[in-house]
Amino acid sequence: MKSLLIGEVSNGSLSAGTLEIISKLQENSLEFNLVVIGSEEEPSIGSDSFDVTYIKVNSDALSLSGVADKISEKINSDGIELVLASSTYVGRDISGFLSVDLNSSPVSNVINFEVNDSIITTTNSIDGGESEYYTNVTSKVKILIVRPKSFEPVDVALNNNFTTLTIENNDLTIDVHDIFVEEKSGPQLEDSKIVISAGRGMVDVDNLKYINELASKLNAAIGGTRAIVDAGWMPYSQQVGQTGKTVKPDVYIACGISGATQHQVGMKDSKFIIAINKDEEAPIFQIADLGIVGDTLSIIPKLIENL
Amino acid sequence: MKHLLEYENMKIAVCAKQIPDPAITVTYDGGNIARPDEQVLDDTDRYGIEVALQLKEKFDAEVTVISMGKLGTQKGIQQALQMGADKALVIEDPALENSNSLMTSNILSGIAKIAEADVVIFGTESSDGYSGVVPQQVSRYLNLPCVSYVKGIDIGEQIVLTRQTITGSEKVVMPDKCVISVTASGVEPRYPNFKDIMAAKSKEVEVVELSALEFTAEQNQEFVEIKSISSEKSGEKHVDEGDGFTLIIEKLKEIKAI
Repeated sequence: MKSLLIGEVSNGSLSAGTLEIISKLQENSLEFNLVVIGSEEEPSIGSDSFDVTYIKVNSDALSLSGVADKISEKINSDGIELVLASSTYVGRDISGFLSVDLNSSPVSNVINFEVNDSIITTTNSIDGGESEYYTNVTSKVKILIVRPKSFEPVDVALNNNFTTLTIENNDLTIDVHDIFVEEKSGPQLEDSKIVISAGRGMVDVDNLKYINELASKLNAAIGGTRAIVDAGWMPYSQQVGQTGKTVKPDVYIACGISGATQHQVGMKDSKFIIAINKDEEAPIFQIADLGIVGDTLSIIPKLIENL
Repeated sequence: MKHLLEYENMKIAVCAKQIPDPAITVTYDGGNIARPDEQVLDDTDRYGIEVALQLKEKFDAEVTVISMGKLGTQKGIQQALQMGADKALVIEDPALENSNSLMTSNILSGIAKIAEADVVIFGTESSDGYSGVVPQQVSRYLNLPCVSYVKGIDIGEQIVLTRQTITGSEKVVMPDKCVISVTASGVEPRYPNFKDIMAAKSKEVEVVELSALEFTAEQNQEFVEIKSISSEKSGEKHVDEGDGFTLIIEKLKEIKAI
């Protein structure tokens, strides 16, 4: 099955999500080509073991309908039957555009897949990770949007062996005013060894100062539940769970989080889970390695003081 | 510079999905989410509806709620109308049950056309199916610019939308014809008062027939099975008696996290 992976550049190399999917493809000896979207000048994204096309855009602007046009052409001319992308902002936009061009509905949030002749069986995680949902994709062209952290990345030797396709204007119909790159101070959610997450049990947005202090003591990244993101306490980019990010740190500390299945999907595979919650019956305790039943707002300040 | 007059009297279609009450655990029936007669408005859609209503107030826009799926008691549709939308265009057809994302977006695109929408607004992903690609697909079907992951709207000399990106954010001028997806938390969805709730009852809810739409997307996904992989954890649980923090510190040391 001729496959095409849609990858992204991150800090001069391939993004973690891209590398994870490459690992899976290589492990299963599936042949594939790679198209990589980015704006960096000379990234190290080439390879001697697969074909790499660098679609170089003129800015990091998120408007990518023009890029999708180019990829659609390539899929048709190369006779591609399997298209893979990581479930990022860029990956979702591109896959959505391509699915209309190719008249093939994508399977979203894929955590695993298997190729059997002309059929692909995908796995999705449901019930907060308690069950797996299997689907056969039967269309000629199949598009899979893969959740980050689904596969263990292996080391891939990268070099400058790639061809570049420059796109001057990603999307002329959208007038970009300003691109703001957030200053990333401290550990990031996706790759931090420790993640501290806050939920409704923090009671008030002001109490997040405890989470910040604890995070800086432990050199941890900070996440939150959908409930507190919806309440405007934290930006969407920090949401952990079904509709947010997936994290797999060595230690996950859930503060005042009841542990709805939608949240568990994004963190249950953390190596060690510590949960602090007032409610003894909170579902988070079912997946916690260490559960403390008590008032988060009294425990965390003591924790900070004694670390 | 885009003049604000260009947006006057625009028509907006805003998607409202009816989903099973999220407080109740989702159950499956042959691989499909079981849908009771009474479903509620997906909270995710409240953010898109709020953006639509802010545009309505400023530019005298007409806001049409569009929805596909089992209608049932229409509680979720009513909730969307109560927030302040003008009317609703809905569709329910056996051929559309358990649609994949492309079938859904194909149908919603057709309904947006019937609503003569200049701007089509969505949440970023529904809370039950969460495919997260319908807004992008609709923009492609309608050949409109796609402004996805909007987390803020600022109506000043221009309409500026702030988009969430992987590295930060991006501000764009809202095209006068486009598809927008709105993330949670950027805007504060309004709560209807008693008057709004009463007013919604007399708003028009028109049912669209499938035959009125151009429908080319196909089902390409067959349900195989659901397997339970329940992983019972034998974690420790302690009631805090003032010493909870020491248990955490000891454990962090034990696993060499500190």
